[in-house]
Amino acid sequence: MKILVTVKEVATVEDEFEIEGTAIADQYLGEDLNEWDDYAIEEAVQLQENGVADEVVTVTIGPEDCEQTIRQALAKGADRAIRVWDDALEGVDLLDVGAKRSILQEVIAAEDPDLVLTGVQSGDDSWGATGVSLAEELDYEWAAVVNHLEHDLDDGIAAVRRELEGGVEELTDVELPAVLSIQTGINEPRYASLRGIRQAQRKPLDVQTLGDLGVDESAVEGAVTLTDMYEPESESDVTVWEGSADETASELGELLRDKGVAP
Amino acid sequence: MEFGLTEEQQQIREEVQRFAENEIVPQATAFDEEETFPHDIVDQAAEMGLVGSSIPIEYGGAGYSTLDTVIIAEELFSYDPGIALSILACSFGTEAIMEFGTEGQKERFLEPVAAGEKISGAAISEPDTGSDVSSVSTKAEKDGDEWVVNGNKMWITNGTVGDFFVVLCKTNPDAEGRYNGFSQIVVESDRDGFEADKITGKMGIRASDTAELIFDDVRVPEENLIGTRDAAFMQQMQFFDATRAGVAAQGVGIAKGALRNALEYAQDREQFGQSISEFQAIQHKLAEMATETEAARNLTYKAAWNVEQGNDVTKLASMAKEHASRTAVEVANEALQIHGGAGYVNDFPVERFYRDAKITQIYEGTTEIQKNVIARELLGKGF
Repeated sequence: MKILVTVKEVATVEDEFEIEGTAIADQYLGEDLNEWDDYAIEEAVQLQENGVADEVVTVTIGPEDCEQTIRQALAKGADRAIRVWDDALEGVDLLDVGAKRSILQEVIAAEDPDLVLTGVQSGDDSWGATGVSLAEELDYEWAAVVNHLEHDLDDGIAAVRRELEGGVEELTDVELPAVLSIQTGINEPRYASLRGIRQAQRKPLDVQTLGDLGVDESAVEGAVTLTDMYEPESESDVTVWEGSADETASELGELLRDKGVAP
Repeated sequence: MEFGLTEEQQQIREEVQRFAENEIVPQATAFDEEETFPHDIVDQAAEMGLVGSSIPIEYGGAGYSTLDTVIIAEELFSYDPGIALSILACSFGTEAIMEFGTEGQKERFLEPVAAGEKISGAAISEPDTGSDVSSVSTKAEKDGDEWVVNGNKMWITNGTVGDFFVVLCKTNPDAEGRYNGFSQIVVESDRDGFEADKITGKMGIRASDTAELIFDDVRVPEENLIGTRDAAFMQQMQFFDATRAGVAAQGVGIAKGALRNALEYAQDREQFGQSISEFQAIQHKLAEMATETEAARNLTYKAAWNVEQGNDVTKLASMAKEHASRTAVEVANEALQIHGGAGYVNDFPVERFYRDAKITQIYEGTTEIQKNVIARELLGKGF
């Protein structure tokens, strides 16, 4: 069985930051592997360690700079990586779901995996739609927000538990091939081992252009434009007291009385 | 000339940072206060390969070079020196086995350390033997096919948690010349006559275990002797370049950690209506701390790189060790000063860094010994 995991280097933001136009100023930004993808990778690697999967392949859309982040997945146990980039993508401000789908579906067509794992969402753009949209386009079965996966995958069925609103969970059987979007907490992602980091340097990382995949450049233009970025105004204040309950309970009581919550 | 790290080294650094932030930082104050060995964190670190990372791959390690291990030490020490030392010291003594051990000894002793199943230690210092290593009086006498070890070892890292120790013993009291007649012998802690008394009340690195070892007619098989009989002094000296580069890295890490904490505090703390990082007095402190740290780092990396190339770096390693340990003490001092009263209690890590820094000027050759070494090399004198 082959598992394909979509991964992304996301932008991380410091606690204090400034917005310039429709973006956060560069000096407040860092980068990291998308948190949800880390769980998806761990799930795939565990399936491989349990003898269910034979090969784990990661795919990302991103410039050369992101290779170091992407190698984290190889260091944790993925076998090889594919990175898609193209001059046509350099100028794209906002890569929307449709554009990602157009690219990833070609990668999936070429790789023909039995199972595709995506993160539920990315920590920066948070579309939360790439996985499901891909499944729809590929005519794969899918399950979103998966927080448990049975590791036998017998008879080509993935038995999953999905997280719904309000603490409700749902058990579903999904026929393979399928796309599962993975929720944080499904497992405990490992740290890359030093040996893994060393081995990752020698694992294949294949770079493909839109032309290599047969994707038309117009596909990445997208229908969505980012028009504004701002910090929402806070509508309420938070008061935090530090110290033991003994010391702080009376202060809380006073505040509640002040606000008219308590008599 | 190439000053950059490889992509692999950058990746190691980032993964170690992640590990330290998540697993070490939240528990650092507790282990310091309780003065206990962080077994669980060490186990996790072993899983990641941080324990015995320089042990060759064929014996289960990561086969990392001196520079790689320097980077790991710098990162770990920048988050908490006590827990960092607990992790990195788990393979103390194995360098002698790697260099001089037989195939059988390597399998017996290196593999369980690399796997995190056993903790090793090196036992050199004695109650009356500090900087003057040639005055070691712990003796090992041959009796049939066994060595019988008697004596005391002092300040031994991992003393009460270690499974075996590479012990520097006098094996030939009649040898001529003060550097002859010593051997390195492995003594397992479960042998009859072995006793370890934990030393408490240390000023810093309190998570790391330190003990006095007492050998009372401890018998070990003759195959526990590492390398050449009676030639251990020279064997021991060979590692000082690498181990001193390692302690230099600890100093760089402590300075880096103290600076990181000071920077954060200076930006958060407001006085006279602005954050104190707006005051030039504070800015200059931060600038000097950062510059000194960077200078120490470059000296340390250069020493480590040269060790890796197989060059003779005795002078450079001593320079790095002396300078980086002094930088650790000075930067931690200024970092605490920036914290003011808040730095004088253990609400912030800086108080711990201040206490932890001092040991780097003492162990693995005091500052004074390093200066002796540097001067001796400058003047072209033998030792």
